[in-house]
Amino acid sequence: MIIQADDLRKSFTTKSRKGTQTVEAVRGVGLEVEKGEIFGVLGPNGAGKTTTIRMLSTLIAPDAGTAVIAGHDLLKHPAAVRRNLGYVSQAGGVEDTTSARAQVVMAARIHDVADPKQAAAEVLERFDLTEMADRPGRTLSGGQKRRVAIAIGLVHSPPLLFLDEPTTGLDPQNRANLWERIRQLREAGTSVLLSTHYLDEADALCDRLMIVDHGEVVAEGTPGDLKRQVSGDVITLRADDLEKAAGTLKPLAREIRVDEDVLRVYVDDGEHTLPALLRALEGQGVGLSSIALDRSTLDDVFLAKTGRTLRDAGAES
Amino acid sequence: MIRHTVLFTGYELKKSFSNPIWPLFGMIQPVLYLLMFAPLLKTMTPGGTTTDALRMFTPAAMMMIAVFGSLFSGFGLIAELRNGSLERYAVSPAWRPAIVLGRVAKDMVVLVCQAILVLVVAMAMGVRIGAVELVLVLLLMAATGLFASGLSQGLALTVRDENGMSQTLNLFMLPIMLLAGLFVPISFAPDWMKTLAPVNPLYHAVEAGRALFAGRLSDSSIPVAFGLFLVLAVLTTIWSMRSLRRIAG
Repeated sequence: MIIQADDLRKSFTTKSRKGTQTVEAVRGVGLEVEKGEIFGVLGPNGAGKTTTIRMLSTLIAPDAGTAVIAGHDLLKHPAAVRRNLGYVSQAGGVEDTTSARAQVVMAARIHDVADPKQAAAEVLERFDLTEMADRPGRTLSGGQKRRVAIAIGLVHSPPLLFLDEPTTGLDPQNRANLWERIRQLREAGTSVLLSTHYLDEADALCDRLMIVDHGEVVAEGTPGDLKRQVSGDVITLRADDLEKAAGTLKPLAREIRVDEDVLRVYVDDGEHTLPALLRALEGQGVGLSSIALDRSTLDDVFLAKTGRTLRDAGAES
Repeated sequence: MIRHTVLFTGYELKKSFSNPIWPLFGMIQPVLYLLMFAPLLKTMTPGGTTTDALRMFTPAAMMMIAVFGSLFSGFGLIAELRNGSLERYAVSPAWRPAIVLGRVAKDMVVLVCQAILVLVVAMAMGVRIGAVELVLVLLLMAATGLFASGLSQGLALTVRDENGMSQTLNLFMLPIMLLAGLFVPISFAPDWMKTLAPVNPLYHAVEAGRALFAGRLSDSSIPVAFGLFLVLAVLTTIWSMRSLRRIAG
């Protein structure tokens, strides 16, 4: 176990002219991450992901709760925790005026790496950054900057790496590239805790994940387990009379949800249910305008647990 | 602790000199003051020679560089607050005060370079100063710079916004400059300004600097300025280190 955290809580008080407001950012989050695992924290913006990571990385002190990270108590021995961490924040932390190499070397020196220059050269090579290593940070592209940020976090070969929203703002090609590099970390035995609001990212990368919403854990497990909980397939349809359609399909489905103008029908075996479903709707005279069959995604898990889709939840905040 | 401070000082210095144009500009400025302002001041100085004017203005120019050069160094910290590198250092095993102390130390190194340049120019223009006085002037300048740099880092970490920071600095700069008698000695000022001037710490530094340049080693302004700035420098440095703690638990 590289991270064992229990009942972490954090609230922030903001003072403005309108008075004092207290926001409970994290309300009792617990998590366990095994050595060598990629663990994801999935949730909409404002769910408390970053606050959780900032607590676990010693940046802010939790109001309550305990955590043991890489064998050290978070509250009693934060310095020991810091020595075992790589931390890549959402902002990245790449400086504009200094070269990538100088920043990586500096990070290595702070961590007392035996040969800082050699270690920096190796990690830069590993992230295909050797060519641009001597250019100032501001001249790098978004994808290159991300890679520099991760190289800085990894130069001292920490057993545990924190990645806060690692692919936000990257184009699809750079995202795929970064995913591949994060997977390689697992092969090298590095444990990774990453936060994301992308479903596909959590699904593709994480061995296990937890879904958080409003500062609380709403579900936890492997992506496969979580999706099986909601059932295998989802049929999404648009019809002239959704209420009637929902009533007609109730016996065929495990669960039915009306979501604005679409009806989501959760079934165990979509391919074989579809013909029966179409016949039933036709028999009741419901007019269909569209129909789609998909494997259920983590968004369906989120929807089942919170009553909202991740997209809607993101738009709220 | 010391190792990390040295590490950050070196890193900051390398960063400053990675594009040598900017530090060069910073160094030219005080020299320009000497070359262009001293002749102007000549007409106002009793006695009236350029050397007299310089003896009056060189210590003022040195204290001015010490304060206003260092006061702006906090801007770099705001940029790093924004790009996340400060947060990254806060999560590293670095001794946290070193993150701020490294910057303050870098400012001191730059300051010494500027001071030497100003002294060389002033001497070329006919100013003479004894060895003891010279050392004391440099020390006083360093203490003044330390105070200003600490203040700037602390302010940057408290305000956390370039706009707010530049407005705050602008607000304080003019009164501090005029009430110190930097350009026009305070003896020319009306009575209410004379009463107010001793409240301004920079006034004492300038007075002590002028006493040193005039060779009045026993002048009471010298121990006053040293005592005052040592205390202030310690206070602002502690404040800046504490402000860093506020951004990171």
